Amino acid sequence: MNNQKLIYLGADCLMTACGDRAQTYAALEAGVSGLKQDSALGMIAGRIPDCPSVEGCTKLEALLVSAIRTVCREAGIDAADPGLGIVLSTTKGNIELLSGAILAEGDVAEQIPQRAFLGSTASKIQEILGLAQQPLVISNACISGVSAFVVGRRLILSGRCTRVIVAGCDTLSRFIATGFESFKSVSLKPCKPFDAERDGLSIGEACGAVLLTTEASEALAPAVLLEGGAVSDDANHISGPSRTGDGLFFAIDNAMRQAGVDASQIGFVNTHGTGTAYNDEMESKAVTLAGLQDKPLNSLKGYFGHTFGAAGVIETLACAEEIRRLKVYGTAGFSTLGVPCPINVSSESVAIETGRCVKTASGFGGCNAAVVLALASLGDYPSDEATIAEMETIASYSLDNGDQPFAEYIREQYRTLGDANMKFFKMSDLAKTAYIAAENLLRGHDLHADYEERDIAIILSNRSSSLDDDALHQRNIDHLEGASPAVFVYTLPNVAAGEVCIRNKFKGDNTFFIEDAPSSLCEDYTRYLLTRGHAKAVIWGWCEQLGNNCKAELKLSITK
Amino acid sequence: MEALIEEIKQHLIDALNLEDMTTADIDADAPLFGDGLGLDSIDALEIILLVERNYGIKIDNTAATRPVFKSVRSLAEYVAKNRK
Repeated sequence: MNNQKLIYLGADCLMTACGDRAQTYAALEAGVSGLKQDSALGMIAGRIPDCPSVEGCTKLEALLVSAIRTVCREAGIDAADPGLGIVLSTTKGNIELLSGAILAEGDVAEQIPQRAFLGSTASKIQEILGLAQQPLVISNACISGVSAFVVGRRLILSGRCTRVIVAGCDTLSRFIATGFESFKSVSLKPCKPFDAERDGLSIGEACGAVLLTTEASEALAPAVLLEGGAVSDDANHISGPSRTGDGLFFAIDNAMRQAGVDASQIGFVNTHGTGTAYNDEMESKAVTLAGLQDKPLNSLKGYFGHTFGAAGVIETLACAEEIRRLKVYGTAGFSTLGVPCPINVSSESVAIETGRCVKTASGFGGCNAAVVLALASLGDYPSDEATIAEMETIASYSLDNGDQPFAEYIREQYRTLGDANMKFFKMSDLAKTAYIAAENLLRGHDLHADYEERDIAIILSNRSSSLDDDALHQRNIDHLEGASPAVFVYTLPNVAAGEVCIRNKFKGDNTFFIEDAPSSLCEDYTRYLLTRGHAKAVIWGWCEQLGNNCKAELKLSITK
Repeated sequence: MEALIEEIKQHLIDALNLEDMTTADIDADAPLFGDGLGLDSIDALEIILLVERNYGIKIDNTAATRPVFKSVRSLAEYVAKNRK
């Protein structure tokens, strides 16, 4: 026995294409998909049937406020509790507000409405719920939801919060629909994860929230623990997953190490399983590398669609329910296995003996995340997260274009580096900013001489997320020739971190926070990673770009 | 054909942000992907779009159409044969 705090999943709330919490679990039990032809978008999609409305809130804000309120009420906690942290997971937030605001020409930075900023959503939710702390926003592409559990757990283990509500939401929009269409990755039929005939994903919207707490609730028996969680990057390509599955394997392996378990102690695996050719192929390889290929494995995308920032939250909640019922839901849309490694997928639900699972997610920018959940009654508790090292900051680099036009400034900076990377000029302006700052920061430091790829992490934050590129995508679909894949792929801030990972073959943790101004957040999170043994070198700091302005303040810290 | 090749080269430079490159820098017979111009899967999607927008030709991204993307010349030959 050790002094490790145990993190329980408390009260939760779900809103999906299948309905509310009870309706969603009934649909999963019965194998009934919530995906339908959506007349507004002209494609198959998972739309929440009855969205709550809250005065003064957008659809996204109303969903989040309602879900967090439900969790507080059911858990009997006060939203104003100063020890309560909220971790918000969303990829696009109020992106619908760009529609109509972005004009055919002119500086997009001046056209973006204030409420499209993710920090504005966080403030709104804080104000309406009367929260003591402003919610922490994670925008890490399609791993955001799973990443939010990893961060929420660490906020409690580090003592920064006594309890945390993880809440995830993204809503359907033309923005997302046109982007994935331009990627030729939307299926004409409901998605078919892992199937031989799979030909793309189905998009969806959802909202989920759950309390993470160190106290077991008698009302929620049997109790489920969040035993471990980790994030990685595969450093392969911003939109194409690794051909070996190594990045996702690192996340699974690290999560299982934290949980203190090996493959024999895992009952089932819930994957990202989007139904695209490359994602599902990569996952089959990663699961096999982790020795989990014989475990019952499912994807829930065939029920709700790919719900982006909500996906990792609602699917992790479904995993907890599967653990309580000792049953793995069938994979809707699946009939014949069509991935290179033989994994154990079934269209029907399957009974399991061990109430412990690995839940994974993967996303643009090469990011991957995994968590381990288990019945508390299994008793083999997670390994201790003791402080085992100190942090030392060995380099820093700042850039700021001041009054110089961004394009001219960044080109000059690139020329000064003296390298010839054909990819540079294709990057978004935020990615160029991160790339130049990181190249300068890392000059003279050969991290690979001292550290494994998987031990080198990147933790960034900014205010504007990827709004600069988002506005260009909105302009393309509203006023110009339509969506451009090369623009759409950068409509996620963490893709900028992904470019740094690809350039330098960094495969450790990568998390992108959104905050109004630089705070101690990235440094504190970096310290946690380094001192608890989750990374050995971390590139961290502020990386902001909007319109003509860029500003980066990066540091390099290592274990001492 | 040579005029069409020049035109396609310019479209590629514009659509793919091939900074500092001129049409003279692109060898019409060099591989577009991998070693040659070093293009990737996102560039392939952009090429499909530019062919559709400029020449009204829809190309499916399948194994059967892969030879079309071999080089600027193969792309130009395909466009010449199928343009409306």
